[in-house]
Amino acid sequence: MARAVRASSRADTVVLIACVFASVMLTILPSGARDQVASVLRETVVQPVLALQRTAERGRNAILEREGLARRLDSLTLASARLSELELENQRLRRMIGLGEGLRTGFVVAEVVHTQSLGDEHTVTLTAGRDKGITQRSIVVAPDGVVGMVTTVDATSSLAILWTHPDFRVSAQSAGSNVLGIVRPHTGGEGERYLLELTGVAFRDSLNPGTLIVSSGLGGRYPAGIPVGTVIGEIKTSESWARTYVVRPAVKPQDVTTVMVVQPERLGNGVANIWPKPVDTAGRVVRDSAAKADSASRAAAVAKADSLVRARLRSGDTPKTSIIPRKPPL
Amino acid sequence: MNWRKAVALIVAFLILVTLHYTIRPLLGWRASIDFLVIAVLLLSVRMRPGAAALLGFLTGLVSDSLTPATLGAGALAMSVVGFAASWLRAVIFADNVVLHAFFFFIGKWAFDLIYLVVARGAPPLELLAQAGVWSPLSAALTAAAGVFVMLAYRMTLDPQHA
Repeated sequence: MARAVRASSRADTVVLIACVFASVMLTILPSGARDQVASVLRETVVQPVLALQRTAERGRNAILEREGLARRLDSLTLASARLSELELENQRLRRMIGLGEGLRTGFVVAEVVHTQSLGDEHTVTLTAGRDKGITQRSIVVAPDGVVGMVTTVDATSSLAILWTHPDFRVSAQSAGSNVLGIVRPHTGGEGERYLLELTGVAFRDSLNPGTLIVSSGLGGRYPAGIPVGTVIGEIKTSESWARTYVVRPAVKPQDVTTVMVVQPERLGNGVANIWPKPVDTAGRVVRDSAAKADSASRAAAVAKADSLVRARLRSGDTPKTSIIPRKPPL
Repeated sequence: MNWRKAVALIVAFLILVTLHYTIRPLLGWRASIDFLVIAVLLLSVRMRPGAAALLGFLTGLVSDSLTPATLGAGALAMSVVGFAASWLRAVIFADNVVLHAFFFFIGKWAFDLIYLVVARGAPPLELLAQAGVWSPLSAALTAAAGVFVMLAYRMTLDPQHA
């Protein structure tokens, strides 16, 4: 029994010595041979272990990089927000170039400097003046339509009133049906300040929501065919002999950054073909969609017209006016 | 040792090897838990010294294959630790948590010291810092993890000892 234990103990010692010897041999191997042995092990029995370690290290790196990635994502989001602004600007400039190609001659491109002073929000400064050939009462347009009119001309700059100015007037007509009227700023509450009114429409004539309103050319200041806005709905006024419509302007003053000042001599040649035809614009969209729609979609189309104005009329705080939404044409 | 215990031990060993190559890189601590030492010690106390030395050699070789510059150092250290653990099994059979912890601590530290001496890769000052500061820290963590593993093993895979 004791012999067996001794023999077993000796065998254990032999195994240990063998293991130690093999280990020492591995440590004193030349580096090339060591790499080979390690490589063989890595490619065979250690491969699953290596894969595990790789996955774990990737996980650790992902955790460590998470904060950095969040920071980078924030920066990218900010950059993409700026990018969308640049895209809009680019789009505006492209359209401006398109308008320039349409007009060909007799216009001056100017940048708009919005005045920030209180009570003077209806006037803008243009970065072109007498030196560029701008004269008083020249019309100011943008690719979307009428912007306003030059009132004061200096040597290198000029002042222009926007269509929101209380003195702004333009003789207008509905595109296609030739219903005539005068467009002026809508004198509603705060929310309706940036709308227009088409006044003096003959009682026998009626306009549907979505109808495009363009300048008529009457009066000689604004040539025919420049988009002014689209009809939102009729409002009731004390003038029982004529109809008045609220019009959504074609140009939003706050979006105007670059404009074209059309010189008076250019107006004689007409500008009717420069802006898109009414069939290509919002009117057609409204008509087409309304034609396909049932009564529910008609109601939705009308509801789109102007929620602000209708909300105000519903509340009844101005008994003078009320919009009667009309059924879109079929 | 019956076959059920043998299977339970092998499962525990494989789990510990897996933990060594997943938890350790994930934590990335300088003084890290050595699950391989725990695995070898856990099995060694239930094996003959020769088999424990062989197990330590193979486990060390696997570990060394990922660091070819020190190939053999880990195998040597693990062989000695395995053999010694099996030889000192009487100590570990005492059901005392503190003794278990001490056993794991000494096992890991001894492994590190042998490894550092055999590998001879680092400058003396760094070697000293590693042997005197980082290795004991790592050994302490390994001891804590080892005790936890031992208790978990007894409660799940070897309930007779729980």
